[in-house]
Amino acid sequence: MKKQLAFFVDAKRCIGCFTCAMACKNQYQTEQGVAWRQVYPLKEDIYPHHERAFYSLACNHCEKPVCLEACPVEAYYKREKDGVVVHEQEKCIGCGNCIRSCPYGAPHYNPVEKRAEKCSLCWQRLDAGLKPACVQSCPVNALQLIDLATFGETNAVQYPPGYPKMEKLNPSTRFRQAELPKIQRREDI
Amino acid sequence: MKPSMELPLVFFTLLSQTAIGLTLLSGLRRWRMAGADATAGADDPDRRLWLAAAGMLALGLVLSLFHLGHPLESVTALKHLSTSWLSREALAFGLLTALLAVTALKGLPAALVRLSAVFGLAALFIQGMTYAPPSFPAVNNGLPFALFLLSALVLGAGAASWFAPQEAKPALARVLTVALCVALAVHLLAPSIWLTGGTVTRMTALAYLRSPLYWAHIVIGLAAPLIVVLRTKTIPSWLPWALMLGALCGRIVFYLETVHTAANLGGLY
Repeated sequence: MKKQLAFFVDAKRCIGCFTCAMACKNQYQTEQGVAWRQVYPLKEDIYPHHERAFYSLACNHCEKPVCLEACPVEAYYKREKDGVVVHEQEKCIGCGNCIRSCPYGAPHYNPVEKRAEKCSLCWQRLDAGLKPACVQSCPVNALQLIDLATFGETNAVQYPPGYPKMEKLNPSTRFRQAELPKIQRREDI
Repeated sequence: MKPSMELPLVFFTLLSQTAIGLTLLSGLRRWRMAGADATAGADDPDRRLWLAAAGMLALGLVLSLFHLGHPLESVTALKHLSTSWLSREALAFGLLTALLAVTALKGLPAALVRLSAVFGLAALFIQGMTYAPPSFPAVNNGLPFALFLLSALVLGAGAASWFAPQEAKPALARVLTVALCVALAVHLLAPSIWLTGGTVTRMTALAYLRSPLYWAHIVIGLAAPLIVVLRTKTIPSWLPWALMLGALCGRIVFYLETVHTAANLGGLY
């Protein structure tokens, strides 16, 4: 398998602190209301507990990105060397077709530039030998950068509940599912 | 993704579908008429119809530019024909506009009329595929094409009554009756079927059924016109406006209320 960089979202560790989302926003100074990374609390029909669990999601850098296929101006490309899906904003005409087409809501409309934009997996930082800003900022190591070609985590899943199953796109993000909350019984204390 | 009315696209799709419906029905009538191979004179009402259809398509294309962040760069939208349905749509409707104008100016030669009809259907299919991405599970299928084809027939039959000679009006009324019956059934059945689907599909169904605009489309654009046509056996000159108003409500609902999968991330899909 070719090198494919991806996010590993460890929902067992994630505490929903939004540091990853804030680090991304700080890095790129995105416009008000535009967040390339979002932290989604799992709804009660999936995680019916008093404690909450979260997925931190951005672009999934899919194997067959629908944004790339749908873009009429070829503003997207997938890097051969690491599988990162890059959006060239200067080519974008702001038609919104990628925004409508991505089932994960990764591309966003920048109301100032009047063009789409999305997570770039910090490819400039990667090329400089650094981790993506979100990964570097996570205080509990719940968000990690992995290479699917060498990734060996046996508990990882591609389509956990709460994340649309889109097999044609083959999103690269992998998850470790949230565990049941620990119940402290009287006899344990 | 924040849902939006996308009014430029609402007008583009409605105008382009009306134009295709007009030319499809006119082409069909000319094909059935004796001596259909004859070209039309300058004052032939059919020729005015085709010019009006080309004008509607051109107007729709211009209006569609207003949904772009950078309309002046719109010509680059033709770059990705290999995979982008939007690129294909832009090309198909640009070519169709030119084809309709040439067909009208050449006096409606039979070969060009037939070519326009086939090309119009192909353009509708491409338009349907543009609005069927995987992110909208309720319409990630052939439904957009079916809805657009029905819109073309309903709006086209309505608008054609303004141009058609008196003897052609009963046939147009029959076409409109059948198209309205099918459209009414499809528009009522679709949300009912969505209610049996996945979570996001069910959310779409509920959003439609709770929308006053959805019911305005059903009543103003489909049910009431059907009753009028059934009772009068003709198409009154005001009826196409009611059809257009209803279709406008329905198309706004299509853009505004079809639920995107990203709307329920963290919940069941």
